Amino acid sequence: MSISDLVEIVIHEDKCTGCRICQLMCSSIYQKRFAPTEAFIQITDVYGLIPKITFLEECKKCGQCAKYCLYGALELKEVEI
Amino acid sequence: MMDLYGYTGNILDVNLTNNKISVITENPDDLRKFIGGSGMNCKLGAERLIPRTDPLSPENLVIVGTGPLVGTITPGASRSVGFSRFPATGAIANSCGSMGFGFNLKQAGFDHIIISGRSEKPVYLLVWDDHIELCDARHLWGQDIVDTTNSLWKQYESSGVIAMGQAGENLVYGALALIDKTTTFGRGGLGAVMGSKNLKAIVSKGTKGISVADPKEFNKLYKKQIERIRNYVHRDSWIKLGMLRGTPISMGLAAAGHTDKAQQASQRTYLKKIKKRRIACPSCPMADKDILEIREGEFSGTINYTSSIINPFLMLSVEGIDTYNQAVKIFDVINRYGLDSITIANLFQFISIMYEKGIITEDDIGFQWNRDYKTILRLVESITKREGFGNLLADGWKKLAEINETIANEMITVKDLGQFFDPRTTRLGTMEFEQVVNVKGAHVASGGSPTYMGAGGSMEDFRIHFKRMGVPDSATSRLFSPPKKEMGVNVGRLTRYSEDWYTVLTNLGLCARAQMNRFWGIETTTAFYNAVTGFDISIEEMRKAAERTWNLLKLMNVKEGFSRKDDQFPKEWFKPIKLGAHMAELKDFTGTTNITPEIANLLIDDYYDERGWNKNNGSPTAEKIKELGLEKFT
Repeated sequence: MSISDLVEIVIHEDKCTGCRICQLMCSSIYQKRFAPTEAFIQITDVYGLIPKITFLEECKKCGQCAKYCLYGALELKEVEI
Repeated sequence: MMDLYGYTGNILDVNLTNNKISVITENPDDLRKFIGGSGMNCKLGAERLIPRTDPLSPENLVIVGTGPLVGTITPGASRSVGFSRFPATGAIANSCGSMGFGFNLKQAGFDHIIISGRSEKPVYLLVWDDHIELCDARHLWGQDIVDTTNSLWKQYESSGVIAMGQAGENLVYGALALIDKTTTFGRGGLGAVMGSKNLKAIVSKGTKGISVADPKEFNKLYKKQIERIRNYVHRDSWIKLGMLRGTPISMGLAAAGHTDKAQQASQRTYLKKIKKRRIACPSCPMADKDILEIREGEFSGTINYTSSIINPFLMLSVEGIDTYNQAVKIFDVINRYGLDSITIANLFQFISIMYEKGIITEDDIGFQWNRDYKTILRLVESITKREGFGNLLADGWKKLAEINETIANEMITVKDLGQFFDPRTTRLGTMEFEQVVNVKGAHVASGGSPTYMGAGGSMEDFRIHFKRMGVPDSATSRLFSPPKKEMGVNVGRLTRYSEDWYTVLTNLGLCARAQMNRFWGIETTTAFYNAVTGFDISIEEMRKAAERTWNLLKLMNVKEGFSRKDDQFPKEWFKPIKLGAHMAELKDFTGTTNITPEIANLLIDDYYDERGWNKNNGSPTAEKIKELGLEKFT
């Protein structure tokens, strides 16, 4: 299910609104329930001046978090070769 | 016990007097009849709160609830609902807020928290999965809401926090709480009720997760809904401008003759001078909350969190607040203390007028009164600390009215809560009318409809909207029968359905703001509810559950002594008001008909009739009570 190795997820923390849709989407796919703390993407300092976005090692690189990010904080981008 | 989806099935019961904490298991049959944050809050309150309880006594309750869609990815499902008897009005009401508290509460495994009693020492309630604790809050007592929330976030990262400030500690009747230092929670005194209980804050944090009953159907519904929202042609401008997109404050200021201030509240000022970061409630695809920063000039460096940029900008309507710097700063001070910016703005304007007429004197006030920033700051601080004249004002409008008859007659309040919109400037739509009949007092959120701020459309547009919000076909002809034909729509009758539609959204935990509300209808909300819970209720049952909630709330307030005498248009609304170079009169939302006291009374009659309430006393009739199965609550 992982995206092509020619595509990567680029993080723009300054655009993150703290909506946690990425975490909800990830956990619904891999944990079969809405459990943001068990998502493979973690947001800390959600409502700080700039939140911190981290991908865990378990991340499957499926790109669904970026597909459903509506604010441009996660961007699917082709890798330059 | 059957498996529950969407709901956690658990209610946390906390007695602060004896530190007793227990968990109540919800009955699935109740969940179908009393849905979610608003519905179940009312049922729990009606069963437990003794009528005529002193709002600031240990016997009063604070019930915080969420809806069955909260904690899932359902777009805009994050609302929390706070129930109590409110000290500013004496009314029993639900009050709503969003941000992360309800989301975290669901993740911790609870739908509701019931808080009773009074703690001996300051505490905060920690709800972190199965770890429930009343923690020592002596180090937080005396701190404002922002510092309190920051301190708790440092300890409990990314948790949901409901906190009150010094105004709540000092039992200022109108003190409110903030959720995540951003959205107001409990206008009318929820902060004071928390203060009376020595409860500084409530923290929620959880890891349990929420499962849905029918994931396949839910995914289908979600993808369709999120694509509609993603493709909405105005979405980008809503994200960019937030609530300023729908409510251009600068136009209102210009119309009122404040052309110099209009620039201060412009979209350009917002974007160039103060917007720092857009933040969203959990699961929201239409983020509209703000982090603001004053970047230059007076008060530079001030950071303010707000549920809407229009809140600080509205402070510019106060004569004495001249710049956006002052507006943001005073709003931030009010927020930190846990006061209510609308009440402060109304009070400052009213006292200024009374002072200039010589009805309130400097002897009454105890300090020099000018229409300037320094005076409004002094007013805010004296109310918060209950000092001198501020001590009197801290007991609310009713106490101020006791000074003399002129003051009592000229203040613009309903049930002792100051108006939010003056319909002489915005015209009388359902939101403005709702201020008269809402059980809580002058409240507007539950009156949303296309009549908002004098807007409107063709009769066909109205029909489409009525269908979306679940108005039964049998009611449509009555909604098009106002007291005078040229008014087009009967706002009295329509307000009943605005309230019911708002309650459907509130029960489920969905955002009711126009830019999200527009994507929901009675059919989609019911479909989401059924996919999440697996309950398979009909549209009619969803509609009925909302009506049941509203009627149960009304029944509780009838027991508190409220009746038709309290649902009255303020007398001042019938007098012309200066608006810029013109005089504005009270007109219907189309602007064609002057609203006289006689027409106002007819609209109230029609509202009661549409509700199935007695026109003489405003109480639900025996037939309505039986129809809704509320007999045991009478």
